[in-house]
Amino acid sequence: MAALKASKKRKAVTRDVEEEAGVFSGDELSSKDLDGALSDNAHDLLSDEDASDSEIELIDDYSSSEEEDDEELDSDEIPSEGEDEGVVKKKSTAVLDLDGLEDREESTKEEEEEEQLNYRIEKDANGNDRYVYDEINPDDNSDYSDVDENSNTIGNIPLSFYDQYPHIGYDINGKKILRPAKGEALDALLDSIEIPKGWTGLTDPSTGKPLELSQDELELLRKVQMNEIPDEEYNPYEPLTEWFTTEKEIMPLSAAPEPKRRFVPSKHEAKRVMKIVKAIREGRILPFKPQTQEDEEDKDVIKYDLWADEAERPDHPMHVPAPKLPPPGYEESYHPPPEYLPDKKERKAWEDADPEDREREFLPQDFGSLRRVPGYENFVKEKFERCLDLYLAPRVRRSKLNIDPESLLPKLPSPEELKPFPTACAAVFRGHKGRVRSLAVDPTGIWLATGGDDGTVRVWELITGRQLWSVKLGEDEPVNVVRWRPGKDAVILAAAAGDDIFLAVPPIADPETEKASLDLLDAGWGYAASKPAPKPADEEKKSTPPQWIRPSAALADSGVCVVIPLRYIAKTISWHRRGDYFVTVCSGASTPASVAIAIHTVSKHLTQYPFRRRIKGGGPPQTAHFHPSKPILFVANQRTIRAYDLSRQLLVKIVQPGARWISSFDIHPTSATAAGGDNLIVGSYDRRLLWHDLELSQRPYKTLRYHRKAIRAVKFHPGGRYPLFADASDDGSLQIFHGNVTGDMLSNATIVPLKVLRGHKITGELGVLDIDWHPREAWCVSAGADGTCRLWM
Amino acid sequence: MDTSQVSVSSQAAQRQVRVQLTSKQEDIALPDNTGPILVPTGLKRYALSTLVNNLLGNDKPIPFEFLINGSFLRTSIDEYLTANGISAETTLEIEYVRALIPPLHIASFEHDDWVSSIDVLSTSSPASAGSDAIARGQERILSGSYDGFLRVWNMSSQVIATSPSPTDGGHISSIKAAKFISPSSIASAGLDRTVRLWKYTEAEDGFSGKIVPQVELYGHKSGINSLAVHASTNRILSASADHNVGFWSTKKSDAPAAPESLLPSAASRTSKRRKLNASVSVSQRGPLALLSGHTAPVSDAIFDARDSTVGYSVSWDHSLRTWDLVTAALVDTRTTSHSLLSLQHLPDHNLLATGTSARHITLIDPRASAATISAMTLRGHTNAVVSLARDPHSIYGLISGSHDGTCRIWDLRATKTDKGGAVGESVYSISRKSLEEEGKANSKRVGGEGVKVFSVCWDREVGIVSAGEDKRIQINRGEGVLSSS
Repeated sequence: MAALKASKKRKAVTRDVEEEAGVFSGDELSSKDLDGALSDNAHDLLSDEDASDSEIELIDDYSSSEEEDDEELDSDEIPSEGEDEGVVKKKSTAVLDLDGLEDREESTKEEEEEEQLNYRIEKDANGNDRYVYDEINPDDNSDYSDVDENSNTIGNIPLSFYDQYPHIGYDINGKKILRPAKGEALDALLDSIEIPKGWTGLTDPSTGKPLELSQDELELLRKVQMNEIPDEEYNPYEPLTEWFTTEKEIMPLSAAPEPKRRFVPSKHEAKRVMKIVKAIREGRILPFKPQTQEDEEDKDVIKYDLWADEAERPDHPMHVPAPKLPPPGYEESYHPPPEYLPDKKERKAWEDADPEDREREFLPQDFGSLRRVPGYENFVKEKFERCLDLYLAPRVRRSKLNIDPESLLPKLPSPEELKPFPTACAAVFRGHKGRVRSLAVDPTGIWLATGGDDGTVRVWELITGRQLWSVKLGEDEPVNVVRWRPGKDAVILAAAAGDDIFLAVPPIADPETEKASLDLLDAGWGYAASKPAPKPADEEKKSTPPQWIRPSAALADSGVCVVIPLRYIAKTISWHRRGDYFVTVCSGASTPASVAIAIHTVSKHLTQYPFRRRIKGGGPPQTAHFHPSKPILFVANQRTIRAYDLSRQLLVKIVQPGARWISSFDIHPTSATAAGGDNLIVGSYDRRLLWHDLELSQRPYKTLRYHRKAIRAVKFHPGGRYPLFADASDDGSLQIFHGNVTGDMLSNATIVPLKVLRGHKITGELGVLDIDWHPREAWCVSAGADGTCRLWM
Repeated sequence: MDTSQVSVSSQAAQRQVRVQLTSKQEDIALPDNTGPILVPTGLKRYALSTLVNNLLGNDKPIPFEFLINGSFLRTSIDEYLTANGISAETTLEIEYVRALIPPLHIASFEHDDWVSSIDVLSTSSPASAGSDAIARGQERILSGSYDGFLRVWNMSSQVIATSPSPTDGGHISSIKAAKFISPSSIASAGLDRTVRLWKYTEAEDGFSGKIVPQVELYGHKSGINSLAVHASTNRILSASADHNVGFWSTKKSDAPAAPESLLPSAASRTSKRRKLNASVSVSQRGPLALLSGHTAPVSDAIFDARDSTVGYSVSWDHSLRTWDLVTAALVDTRTTSHSLLSLQHLPDHNLLATGTSARHITLIDPRASAATISAMTLRGHTNAVVSLARDPHSIYGLISGSHDGTCRIWDLRATKTDKGGAVGESVYSISRKSLEEEGKANSKRVGGEGVKVFSVCWDREVGIVSAGEDKRIQINRGEGVLSSS
């Protein structure tokens, strides 16, 4: 195979040589028929392929090129390996030869032209004829044509000059003459000649025949020659059997300690010992260290033994003996049993934990023997800590609970998000002389009714502050309260002045509504008339319900339609939602309990006293309101609010706000619809505003103490469109709150203080006396003791 | 060139920017060959104004305002560039216009009672459209007062005519709205729930006249807050507190009969009032249509400035409603978050300005395609804005009268963008002369007490006319208050 590789390497060279050969052959064939020459060549090549037997002859043919021989020799060797490969190889060489063939063809054609004309006529750049002569072939007509073409032309120089090169000189054409084949090539040729197997060239002396050696004998000879063990059975690479293993046996054959008899005393050591003993005897080495001077000096320092006379002391709170430490356990051992040693996980957990959180201050460690125990690494640190302890130096930073007090407060929405709510005064209603005691915005939200100390009831245009109507109800008695009848079908204003209640129809409505209002008020006359007139004797009794009467002509002209002489000063009026009933409360201390609370029926001109007896505890009644949807009447006396079911005539609930003197209260308008139950706000003269969730407790859910003086009035925004409520105080300010009642039972009402509205002047210790909301907008109006009313929006 | 000189002189001082000064008004325009000028960025309005005056070679300097990208320069150029992220390398297009001249007080006409509404009759007022009868100086001012009387004033603060008393067919309650329909006819309405049409005649000398009742229009069940008249189609819109918008005809023949139940004679009470109406008989008519839809008192109603078949109304129920007046149908409802108290149409911007109870003016795009309800908010008043009028000189101008006792002039260009959208600030504020006379010009009245402005009107000839709780009509010069470009 090595030879094959060599031949492949030389291929490129081979082809060059082949071409050269072609040219030469062309010259020879110049006079012959071209076709024949081609076919001859082809035949030659074919014959190359065919005649694999007659290599030697072929070699003669190609003797001019030694490389070709190699080629052919190669082709000889290949068949011995495998026919197929050999064929392929030969075909490839054939192709190479064909390439050379074409070259030859071209050169012969040129020579043919030469025979006829040795020039061509071409057109030059100017269009003139131009004779182009073929290159002169120096071979033609050469005087030296007889010179051997293959002779070396290097002249008279030593051939050793070419030792480095593959060629030995140049022929007449300047082509390299390759070095002729030497011994190697001849050896190769000889090798290729087949020698029968076992041929030795020797003669067997016993038989006289040529000595033939069998394969086994040859192998034997080879082994002897190679210095190998000639025995065929012998395997030099047998697997190793470890008779004496490399591994040490753990268990010794005998556990007995090595006997002392095996001890061989060291002579050298004995010599050394003897030397020391001799030195001690002679006094050269002292067994004890002589006392140094330093030790003697230390005697000057007085040393105290603190514990010298320590005696056991009895148990006493002032003396706590140091705790007795438990004896060390296995963990503390320098060589603890393996089960005490921490595994990887435990070690990691211990390392990750904070020093304070560790169960033990150390990890059990196995040092094997006591002499391997290192110095205690924390020694210095612990001594230092101990010193600090003794100095009482604080060094552990106690982390205080770092809680922002703000975050503990419940999250309240900011007032900006809760807009709209009244923020500024939009109108001032000036006209009343003296305090304005009460005011109310009519159900349409266009008019404002006010009543004051001057005994007048006035109606104003709400947004502009224009007074449109005024009537003087009492000469020297103040108007204590004005309230519009709810509902837009009629415009009726109820006012309490002095001992009387007045029902008026202000001339602000259109004829239709005005007529409806008048009809509503007039309808009761007939009903009242149908009843038997009260006996004079009953008139005397104070508990007899009063008869409704027509007003004086002057009042009737101004729009007052009905007068109810209550005989006591009514301080509050509260209409039922439907507008047929209203409740008045005469809160004066001198009023008999039985007539303090009166319910008036407009359609029947009827006044009833539902309570015969004084409410137990809490003083005289202060104010009363109907529940916005249920037939429940809330009555507040000085300290409690009681809810009475009017249909069943029962006391339903007692609310105890804890205030000393309730001034007013209001019921949340959507209490009816919200599932959360009734919500009340209560204002008291002791400066408190209390929010009650009746479902929650009798006690207030929230107590708001923001006013400096008594709260006079509290009011929810009606209709529930805006979750607002407001209170009015004697300190001259109003406070607006956001009070959102959610429908579900789980969340309590959110109460956010929104705005303090200031503007009313404090007159005679009184500030704002009444407050009311616009029925639709987030606007509120307030009545001040300074004689003005203000619209806030 | 100026360019090089200016630049060399102040090169070291500070950053400079190349500005191109332009003006749309020819009389103050710079010559055409004026190229971009390099100016220091520290310049403010005054310095720029001086620069332009120098360039123009004016003997008497004209104050100028400078508009960059449609907004007035209120800071130095440097701050403007920084605020808007504009590179100083670019050439800045600056448009300059004549600066606003503060409106000056001209006259006050005293009344006996609060003046609720005013209207002006002049050549340019809508009532006189088509007739040039009103000579300069012969303008008339109509005032409606809370005492129930209409008054017609000439410019010399003389009352030419007063409407008759309730016994002679006049308003039996306060007048809330009064408008000239034409130079010879007047419409008024008030808390007595009627719209009344009057015939107005003047004597030859122009110093006396008569207001004669013509028609009483019944239909509203509550006070009427405002009126809008469209003279050419003889239509009136009224906004009433009974939640309805009334649509009326000014012609007696067109109008249907009045609803019986609303006539004053229907009321069973008030014999006195029946007596009042007995002396003069005036024909009574009803509405063409009552546009119902609002759920709260309607505060203002107007015709579309370009299309008389479209009406707009605003109400306390927070909504602005668009009405098709031909079919009396509700077209569109835009709900805001505040009670709306006044309305004015700005046809050039397709916007409706409405004054709110929340002390600002909201500009609403009424078109259905508008994505946001509020296009711009004008803030500055401290009380409810109850009256709005357009600037006759500029499409960007607007005046508002508020219960805080001021009239504020707004320029829609003078805006800045806030987190809640574009917010404008007023250009000028006109306070009441009555306050100044009392020597309390600077004192603020809580809730506008005594100085509330109820009505404001801006006429090209007469100026800014406003009336209010101080019982007087106040006239301020309105020309050139706002740059007209």
